[in-house]
Amino acid sequence: MSRRLDERRSAHQRYKQDVGERGKPFYPFAMFHDTVMSLVVVSVITALAVIWKVTANEEPDSSGWLGVLYGEEADPGTTNFIPRPDWYFYFLFYLLRIFKWPESVILGTIGIPTILLILLFALPFIDLRRERRLLRRPVAIVAAILVVLSMGVLTYKGATAEEALGTTLVEAVPEWAQKQGFEGDEQALAGGRLFAASGCGQCHIYLGLGSPNLGAPELTEIGNGDRGIDYFRQYVANPREFGNQVMTQYGEEFGGSLNDDQLRQIATFLDASKGTKE
Amino acid sequence: MAAARKSARRAQVERLITYPIDWIEERSGLIGGLKYFLLRKVPGDTGWFHTLGSATLTAFIVQAVTGVILAMYYKPDPDKAYESIRFITDDLTLGWLVRGMHRWGASVFIILMFFHMARVFLFGAYKYPRELNWILGVLLLVLGMLEGFTGYLLPWDQTSYWATVVGINLNGTAPFLGPFLVNLLQGGAEIGSETLTRFYALHMLVLPGAIAGLIGLHLYLVIRLGVSSPPWSPDAAGADRAEPDRPTVRKGLTQPGRRGGYAR
Repeated sequence: MSRRLDERRSAHQRYKQDVGERGKPFYPFAMFHDTVMSLVVVSVITALAVIWKVTANEEPDSSGWLGVLYGEEADPGTTNFIPRPDWYFYFLFYLLRIFKWPESVILGTIGIPTILLILLFALPFIDLRRERRLLRRPVAIVAAILVVLSMGVLTYKGATAEEALGTTLVEAVPEWAQKQGFEGDEQALAGGRLFAASGCGQCHIYLGLGSPNLGAPELTEIGNGDRGIDYFRQYVANPREFGNQVMTQYGEEFGGSLNDDQLRQIATFLDASKGTKE
Repeated sequence: MAAARKSARRAQVERLITYPIDWIEERSGLIGGLKYFLLRKVPGDTGWFHTLGSATLTAFIVQAVTGVILAMYYKPDPDKAYESIRFITDDLTLGWLVRGMHRWGASVFIILMFFHMARVFLFGAYKYPRELNWILGVLLLVLGMLEGFTGYLLPWDQTSYWATVVGINLNGTAPFLGPFLVNLLQGGAEIGSETLTRFYALHMLVLPGAIAGLIGLHLYLVIRLGVSSPPWSPDAAGADRAEPDRPTVRKGLTQPGRRGGYAR
């Protein structure tokens, strides 16, 4: 162990000696490269800003090459909107869809990112060899390729993930009623429309529509199990009461967007969701 | 006679320039430090790959400058935030450019951090004695991504609002810390004015301050320890010397050791 340390220390001494004898002064040589590169960076940033503005302005209807200048104002009330992080979080965003609630969602949200981060911090203490030539570091090559590939695939999948808008879901409500057999129940129908418009489909799957985010369960057959309307009403109003820290508290008294009548309608709808008859 | 007067005037001008420099040097040593920084030697094979760090720093400076200008016009209040962003983009002279540079500079900053990290990884430049600087770099990456997360909410449009809802709920799944984190970030039962001011304070005081401080430490270690030569370089600084008196090193007469017996 101490021999390895001695080797590393003498290697650094050799490094200092070599730089002293054969090195070049930072100014002007390395600084020239740095300055050119910095100018390129500032130019690229400016060019992106200009392209963003100019292409978005030319066609007011379309979003331009780089997206809209600003979207619609935030509206906590109507959640008819698809949440989308900035691109560098897409890999996390997609990781969440791979792990299903409740057993493994923690792997996607906290587990895997934490493990990766610890590995990243610990890298200099895991790889203690002095070897720096890439061809003689096969483990490092494989690890690098795997990381780049998986991050690339997850980012791509996150970028192209299709999600249903609330408006699409609302149109599907009559079909749901027919399949689930609650066509005559006005309360359940109203609840279905609220379910579609309140953004539940952002995390829950219902009869094949919606998106499986944050590991939320599919709700097609949630009504099986005799939980009762009151249970659903309380759950949607305040999931914290049931140990669910992930789902939004929808009850008005908990700062949510739904009043008691609306909660009752959604609860009726969920209770009527017994799954399609086989 | 005329020449003597000319050189006397010249000496006077020189004194005028050097006096304040000497004054500062005598009282701080900063000029000597700057000289050391600029004239310190780096390995001869330092090249374009080594510019990614300073490029990242440049992107951070762009973010800082444009961020300060945006902060002069932005209002961190749910009722006014969206309108102030609209004002900056549409009405303020060159406001679109400042906001555009901040918005896209964020992506460039993140990309450059990843490229810089990839370079350090591929060069094996995180090895002894540079372990601590790798750790500082990973910390900077985490803080940079948190800057992205907190800044995303500030325009207060639908995308930013709902992405933050998901992001905060995601923090809520952490064992033990979850509810505490949600409370800390959200500051109330739902995402509202408390959340916005918290994100604003984090985004423009806490995180940039921490990042600037860590960049200082990061650079100090770069200057103290020096940058690594590319590992493939035949002239890499610090490469192993083969012992010159051992015959195996010269590999016969056809392959003489490079530079008089030193195999590199």
